[in-house]
Amino acid sequence: MTAVPAYAEFGVQSNFSFLRGASRPEALVITARLFDFSAVGLADRNSVAGVVRAWVQSKHIKLTEDSEPTRIPYHPGCRLVFSDGTPDVLAYPQDRQGWAHLCRMLTAANERGEKGNPDLHIEDFLEWGDHMSLAILPDFRKSAEDTLALLRSLKNRFGRNLRLAVSPSYGGDDHWRLAQAAGMAAAAGLSLMATNDVLYHAAEQRPLQDILTAIRLNTTISEAGFALEANAERHMKPREEMARLFRHYPEALTETLRFAESLTFSLGELKHNYPDEVSESGLPAQEELARLAWEGARERFPDGVPEAQRELIHKELALIERQNYARYFLTVYDIMRFARSQGILCQGRGSAANSLICYCLRITDVGPDIMDHLLERFISEERGEPPDIDVDFEHQRREEVIAYIYKKYGHKRTALAASVISYRGRLALREVAKVLGLSEDVTSALSGSVWGWSSEEVGETATKAAGLDKTDPKTKQLVELVNGIMGFPRHLSQHVGGFVITKDRLDEIVPIVKTAMEERKMVEWDKDDLDNVGLLKVDVLALGMLSCLQRAFGLLEEKYDVRDDYGRPLELATIPPEQKPVYDMISRADTIGVFQVESRAQMSMLPRLKPKEFYDLVIEVAIVRPGPIQGDMVHPYLKRREEKEKPEYVRPELKAILKKTLGVPLFQEQAMKIAIVAGGFKPAEADRLRRAMATFKRTGSVTDYRQKLIKGMEENGYPREFAERCFRQIEGFGEYGFPESHAASFALLVYASAWFKTYYPDVFCAAILNSQPMGFYAPAQIVRDAREHGVEIREVDINSSEWDCILEEAPFDPARVAAQHADMRSIIETKHAVRLGFRQVKGLAEADMKQLVLNRGAGYRSVRDLWLRSGLSRSVLARLADADAFRSLGLDRRTALWAVQALDGTCATERLPLLDRPEIGLTEHEPEMKLPSMPLSMHVVHDYQSLSLSLKAHPVSFLRDQLAAEKITPNARLQNVSNGRRVSVAGLVLIRQRPGTAKNVIFMTIEDETGVANIVVWDRMFKRFRPQVMGARFVRVDGKLQSASGVIHVVAERITDLSARLGTLMKERQEQDQLARRKEIAGIEGTTCISSSGTSPGREAVQPEEAGAAQSAAVARVMPKGRNFH
Amino acid sequence: MGRNESAPADFPPLVISQRENNALRIAALNEQAELLGLKPGMGIADARAMYPGIEVMEADPDADRQLLESLADWCDRFTPLVALDGRDGLFLDISGCSHLFGGEDAMLAEIIRRLTQQGFDIRAALASTPGMAWASARHSHSRDRNVPAGQEEQTLAPMPLAALRLEEKTRTGLERVGLRYVGALIDAPRAPLARRFGRMLVTRLDQALGVVEEAISPRLPVSPLSAERQLAEPIGTTEEIERLILILARTLKPDLERRGEGARRLLLSLFRVDGVVARIVVGTSRPLREPTTIAKLLYERLAALEGSLDPGYGFDMVRLSIAVAAPFEMEQTDLAEGTSIAEEEFSLLADRIRARLGEEAVLVPALAESHLPERRARFVSSGKEIARPTRTSQPMAGGRPIRLLEKPEPVEASAEVPEGPPLSFRWRRALYRVARAEGPERIAPEWWREEKPGQTRDYFRVEDMDGRRYWLYREGLYGEQTAPRWFLHGFFP
Repeated sequence: MTAVPAYAEFGVQSNFSFLRGASRPEALVITARLFDFSAVGLADRNSVAGVVRAWVQSKHIKLTEDSEPTRIPYHPGCRLVFSDGTPDVLAYPQDRQGWAHLCRMLTAANERGEKGNPDLHIEDFLEWGDHMSLAILPDFRKSAEDTLALLRSLKNRFGRNLRLAVSPSYGGDDHWRLAQAAGMAAAAGLSLMATNDVLYHAAEQRPLQDILTAIRLNTTISEAGFALEANAERHMKPREEMARLFRHYPEALTETLRFAESLTFSLGELKHNYPDEVSESGLPAQEELARLAWEGARERFPDGVPEAQRELIHKELALIERQNYARYFLTVYDIMRFARSQGILCQGRGSAANSLICYCLRITDVGPDIMDHLLERFISEERGEPPDIDVDFEHQRREEVIAYIYKKYGHKRTALAASVISYRGRLALREVAKVLGLSEDVTSALSGSVWGWSSEEVGETATKAAGLDKTDPKTKQLVELVNGIMGFPRHLSQHVGGFVITKDRLDEIVPIVKTAMEERKMVEWDKDDLDNVGLLKVDVLALGMLSCLQRAFGLLEEKYDVRDDYGRPLELATIPPEQKPVYDMISRADTIGVFQVESRAQMSMLPRLKPKEFYDLVIEVAIVRPGPIQGDMVHPYLKRREEKEKPEYVRPELKAILKKTLGVPLFQEQAMKIAIVAGGFKPAEADRLRRAMATFKRTGSVTDYRQKLIKGMEENGYPREFAERCFRQIEGFGEYGFPESHAASFALLVYASAWFKTYYPDVFCAAILNSQPMGFYAPAQIVRDAREHGVEIREVDINSSEWDCILEEAPFDPARVAAQHADMRSIIETKHAVRLGFRQVKGLAEADMKQLVLNRGAGYRSVRDLWLRSGLSRSVLARLADADAFRSLGLDRRTALWAVQALDGTCATERLPLLDRPEIGLTEHEPEMKLPSMPLSMHVVHDYQSLSLSLKAHPVSFLRDQLAAEKITPNARLQNVSNGRRVSVAGLVLIRQRPGTAKNVIFMTIEDETGVANIVVWDRMFKRFRPQVMGARFVRVDGKLQSASGVIHVVAERITDLSARLGTLMKERQEQDQLARRKEIAGIEGTTCISSSGTSPGREAVQPEEAGAAQSAAVARVMPKGRNFH
Repeated sequence: MGRNESAPADFPPLVISQRENNALRIAALNEQAELLGLKPGMGIADARAMYPGIEVMEADPDADRQLLESLADWCDRFTPLVALDGRDGLFLDISGCSHLFGGEDAMLAEIIRRLTQQGFDIRAALASTPGMAWASARHSHSRDRNVPAGQEEQTLAPMPLAALRLEEKTRTGLERVGLRYVGALIDAPRAPLARRFGRMLVTRLDQALGVVEEAISPRLPVSPLSAERQLAEPIGTTEEIERLILILARTLKPDLERRGEGARRLLLSLFRVDGVVARIVVGTSRPLREPTTIAKLLYERLAALEGSLDPGYGFDMVRLSIAVAAPFEMEQTDLAEGTSIAEEEFSLLADRIRARLGEEAVLVPALAESHLPERRARFVSSGKEIARPTRTSQPMAGGRPIRLLEKPEPVEASAEVPEGPPLSFRWRRALYRVARAEGPERIAPEWWREEKPGQTRDYFRVEDMDGRRYWLYREGLYGEQTAPRWFLHGFFP
């Protein structure tokens, strides 16, 4: 038997040839290795988006579970697809220069084309085609003369670099096809090269490829017709098969090897292309970094740098020098320095921010007294990956930082990282179902079920929820295809804030792509790709809480003039630390609005954790995360925290690692240290373990580490059971675990925001409202919480408000502080009231309101005066009337609106000035109209409609009499009810939460005029009362009261939808009176007002009932819908 | 008006969904769904979150419209002046008609009775102005109300503003200042209202009250052309009808000629003495104007209907309308009286057959896009416009036979593995030696169609020693199957 000839495949498209290729790049590379190809390339359509993934995989292929990983020679390339009819060309760079050319060529095509649709012309190819090995794939159905002429001219241009590639098509004429190709190649003087023009790694992928085609053409699979491939032949084929197909042209197979030999370029050549920071001192980068670090160290440690820290700085500097990362740190330092010079609040986090140097450079404020610095975590020396620093900026001012980056580095050297948008649960399902021709209803039933499932595999739950039979073959097919397409890239989008910055031209390193925003450009690679190639990337992120804090600092300086010991305005680093009242407040779970710890889950944890010092906050931030919860670490920690059990350390060396967290590993760093100390991992291995954990769903490589860790720990004398538990915990971190540095950075913000809330609730409230949207709670709850802390809140008014909420002087009356916060009466230092801003009113534009404020002068005297002098349109004034903002004129919203409606539709400025001069004061000769005055309850509903909140009253207060008659307990009284008693509560539904970690329970938060109540709905009850839970806006809950550590829940046993009652609020006064009278007469009590109005049986009742029902539906819609959280 | 979904009580809750601003909302719902507390306008996602089990159907506004139109047709019996009102209402101008039905109240009762019998849940009202009738029908307490002249104001006053057919914007504007019932407007000074909400508000009010006249705009005559004959003496026999058809068709011819058009669809309306209208529709494959041909077509249809067409006490009016007309292509007869005539005759024949036996009685083949040879063509009704396949034609240049066997016939063949052409094959007991062969053309099954898709086929074009050419295929790939089967599928000329 003759030996099977060697072969290399270069006509390979992956699923990064969007909606064409049907296999992941990794799968293709693995298959090539499996078939023992001499080399493999990847050539996606006018893109190199997938080449890094394939490259990474090519270096590390495990053919079986136990075998040592092997590699396969791999070459990144691109399939050039022209928009001018030129046949496709496989283009593979021979060297770094060729890669630069390819990137320039694709960038030019991207620039010319629409987003996601490059427009490549043959001229680009002729210009940039040098230093590449090329293989043209002619279309044999076109005229042979034309093709030959083209081949000859390209041969003249590219010489021996050009080949003619052909693949069998199984169209019935392959004999002729190959002969034609060979003939043309000979005639043009080109070598013939074999390929199978691969679209997927295995024949089973054909249905998926058909699906992708139909999605791409936006049609159904049965309509797609000839656009689909006729057969499943475009998969990667073993060498035997390729040899058989090309048995008459063996030289075509050999040519693939020669092609491979011509390619020497590797993606590894791109790394470390960091910009040269021009330093003030003119020193080289490393020396400049050292200078800045020591300078910073002296500031951070005014009493002298302690020996241990001194040593660490030396060590870190040496590591940075070895890895050549100095310029990276200088770049980050420079960006943050710019932001600070502009007064933009910012804070770094991420693994590199975990270093002492970053503390010295003020990249992070988390110092060594707070946490250990783990050098290995900081930079992984072995992998040679760049450090990772994310910087958070105020969300409203991030743009300025981005503009600076563009200005400094220019569009040639910086662009955003890409973010690969891939098919996830709903999207995958929706598109596949559409292509299979399922009706929109089935599709939306499958994908629309709230809390059905998210990005996990589509399984039983979803199909069941949609009423589909999973055993039905159609359903099975659907589920299979959806799971097949899951994770496939759909298109590239820009990363939220990851900037790539390079020293050389960026467009010679990676192609640049247009984004939806004209001035933003992005590269074709995402974060992981950039990491793997070793390019510098800085995450410039937006964080709402930073905006809020910056505003709070501003208000504090302006209104209270609070300063630090050196007379400087307060800032993040100089907030008085470790204040007991702050921790007391947090421990009482009085944390609405406080960063991170404001969610229900966090709040229920706080009274048990009772944080007393900063590190407790670090733990608090990290512990209430899916990772620790799944790893079952929360309860042991809580028990130890509450001193119900003693921490145990299996071995003394573990005590050193886990002491701070009472023996429970909570942070990624601890997991790594355990692996090093107990499992015998090398530091770099431990880092790989961490990375594997983060991506283990994608690669499944985590199992290797499992064996290694457990084995290592056993060898070091740990019980196997303990080792397994350790691994489970580490695994639990997965995607969710926090590194300690991260938690510490966030904990700083927790403390800062809690400090403001403790001492200056007025400042805090205004700052949060002015930074909306952010956080967990709606403005209504923020306002309510501020009022409960004694802050006076004032209505929006045309003569007082500005766009933002402002502080107006007002005495603080401790008596206003609600009973539950009585401890704070002596602590709160508020001296101002919050005047709500126009930003609170729905539908107003900032520019309009600025104009209103600008022209306000001594104040507006009438609606007409406002209209004339502000130049605002009638519809804007109507919005202000809706917001009840004319009270300073003595008008309520109804009378104000009536006056507004009388104004001419056009703007005042467009009219003749003479007649409209306000001082002329033409009296309005108009017959008087008597409008019914609006009852308070209706005002409240309108307040909600326009402002999403009401300062006048709580909607539920109008129903209190009735509720009291039904023996419903006001929420505030729940603390007087003893544990285990049955109670009934009622309120507006604010939040429904079904934590991903506790699938069988739903938390509801309901609110009445006295406060909120927390409802627990167990799955069994949810099944029974689903419509009420999901649909009601106003709800009654009967259940058992449960109280533990000051956290009160009502465990629902019955849930009633009372939304219809809200209709009463919208009744006009006389109707309300009538109802009351009729009720008196009829002696009806406790039934809903609406049905009581339809007294007579039969048809005559139709109309009022209809109107009433429509009305309550309308009111219910105005009330908050209740936000759903996972 | 609403379709009554009162099927058996265990009929599941059903809602009709409609896309509004990119969100699916409930457009209508049945009683069971209503009992659950669902409301029109609610988001489908919200409704599903509450009741995952509800059944949702997409709204079909075209079908609703058609239904409404057919109801309007049906109402022709009461008055010729019927107008459509929005998506779910009809105006009937019954001035001068009510006496035919025993007075207004009796007429109203009759309309309601008959529509209710047909399964509709209807609300109707009768008043001296369209506006008043509209308000009463939709906002009155009762389902059948005759508002006596002079009582308009009193009736309207307690009704909500919606009763005035106001624009949404005007209505909410009024409601926001507390004016929520018509009564509030009747009492109010007119000038401030008109100033703020425009003249239309006042007009609507006046229209309802009868202060200003309002005419309904009856549905335009659907047919571009029609001819009718009132008969003093009702007719009942088919022969009489046929004779009348011919007369009417002759009347229509000059009009068609003047317009340069021919009929593509004909509508024959037979008005029975007692008000029932029988309508007969006939489609044609090409524009027609020749009276005898038209008549012939209708005769076929009448013949097919015989028995089901009940003349009762006879028809007192017959109307023939051209429901759809199309440009008539004048063709010069060629001297040899060649193909065009044959084609014309064929289509006339097809029309007549279809008229008698139904749309699906005559089918013609049309091209379809499929890689599978047997799916390349499908049969469609000859009356339909045949849409040509839009996308690229067959991707493969290497010809296929024009004639395929109805069913591929198994043959015994010997071939080279794994995918060589047959060397010889035996078909219907005769042995054929293959002289030349080309292939394979590999065609995989359409996995999305059947539950158990067939196997991949390898097609070969082969020529036997006598120069006859065949299209053969092997079913299944080597490796997948030990002994693949061979079939003969067609012949090349």
